[in-house]
Amino acid sequence: MNNQSVGSKSHSNTEGININPSYLHLIQIHDTAFPTGSFAHSFGMETYIQENVIRKEDDLREFCDMYLRQNLASTDAILVKEAYRLAKEQDKQGLIRLENICHAIKLSPETRKGSAMMGRQFLQTVHSLNDEELLTFWYEKLKNKEIKGHFPIVYGIYTALLGIDLKMSLETFLYSSITSLVQNAVRAIPLGQTSGVQTIFSLLPVIQETASHVMTLDLDDLDNNSVALEIASMKHEFLHSRLFIS
Amino acid sequence: MSLQHSLVKRPQHNGRLSMKFSNRGIRTVMANCYQLPPLRASRPMYLNPANRSEATVYLVETSGGLVAGDQNEFQIEIEDGADVCLIPQSATKIYPSFNGEWSSQKMDISIGSKASLAMKTEAVIPFVDAKFRGKTVIHMAQDATLLWGDILSPGRDKRGEVFQYSDVKTNFQVWMEEECLIYDPLLFTPDRTELDQVGVLEDHLYIGSMWFVAPTLEQIDIKALNEKLQQSAQMKVSASVLEGKAVNVRWLASDLVLLKKEMHNTWDEFARYMNKLA
Repeated sequence: MNNQSVGSKSHSNTEGININPSYLHLIQIHDTAFPTGSFAHSFGMETYIQENVIRKEDDLREFCDMYLRQNLASTDAILVKEAYRLAKEQDKQGLIRLENICHAIKLSPETRKGSAMMGRQFLQTVHSLNDEELLTFWYEKLKNKEIKGHFPIVYGIYTALLGIDLKMSLETFLYSSITSLVQNAVRAIPLGQTSGVQTIFSLLPVIQETASHVMTLDLDDLDNNSVALEIASMKHEFLHSRLFIS
Repeated sequence: MSLQHSLVKRPQHNGRLSMKFSNRGIRTVMANCYQLPPLRASRPMYLNPANRSEATVYLVETSGGLVAGDQNEFQIEIEDGADVCLIPQSATKIYPSFNGEWSSQKMDISIGSKASLAMKTEAVIPFVDAKFRGKTVIHMAQDATLLWGDILSPGRDKRGEVFQYSDVKTNFQVWMEEECLIYDPLLFTPDRTELDQVGVLEDHLYIGSMWFVAPTLEQIDIKALNEKLQQSAQMKVSASVLEGKAVNVRWLASDLVLLKKEMHNTWDEFARYMNKLA
């Protein structure tokens, strides 16, 4: 495959991929047609677009680099990793406590809501594809309103149940978070499709570095350091016109 | 461990302040107080004209700040129906970690049914090479009220000492029974983080945080509060309501005097709301 060989020359980003049914399903759950509703969320980015801080491809790349290293790496990706570990250990109480923290660490209401909306849609869809007991347990908890259904937790549980390698789960989680953000930015700024593709391509090494870094972290390393982004997300609900829910 | 570290020995000052507040009909009293220097508490005073039963207590740190390895612990229990206002006497200063050890401050707080705690805003100031861990865990009843403000400073910026500390790690948590309402960890290692990046601190130096948790927030007009907060063009700030139970206000600022003024005004506004609930 020509594209793969180009990518691997620069980033070695196809190393270690096992071609098995889980791998194909992993591709499926990241397809834009897979219903997570990620197209509706900017998680604060739209405020920066409206304030003209993100206007061109370079601005978008810089923002996404920060989002990966300072936001996802210290919150959601750690939560995916912990959820994956707890799912492997079938620690249901541990997962409920983790979900509680995932909810509470998101201090902007729209970010809180966006993460839960995406997770609920994802869980409702994968529940119909997989009858693993832990997934059913999680689905029942959601139906009974005992959990909010946050996306990083559901994603960690599901990839653990699929038997996907942890590092690959982190990479794909980070990849899907960034591609959604870039695709939404392409619509909102607006930018050309090629700019979007180039931005994502240039971020592939950052995604891999971030995933490797997260492999060394645990719950004690959670932080809310991207304070300006949190404020931007809080301000989002008061913008006059909005393309995105968050 | 370096030679310098192994040679320097200093007795640690591990302070402890444990207080229990009870509602005795017309006023809140300090039913118990255990203090181990350098932490001390003043006697309760009754200063709030809008709530005469509220006990106001000053928190005092007699050593002037935390030195490498010092550990301060606060345990504060506010029983059902008691109203307490705590005022730190001064900013918490974190001195350089000459031996590489972390200084720490831990606060465990419980607030009972129909009880309240108002903590006045003060700053943590980490000096050059400081290493600090702060952890505050608050357990409160569903119908309790909490007002809390704090500031994380970049250092002694008037001396040009800005983000020269080694590590600062804080974690502020609020729990209502099994529900975690607020979980706010901050972890800054200036050597390893580009703090001025877009989305992080940008061109600001101070982080101000205020939390107001109350059984009812129906009369809080969050849009009006935001409009008022946005009038200060030199700061980045926003307020939002979490779960209909808490208001979160976050500031980024470079002028401490201005930040404190804004935070005190906002604190007073929440305090007035709190007095109406009392």
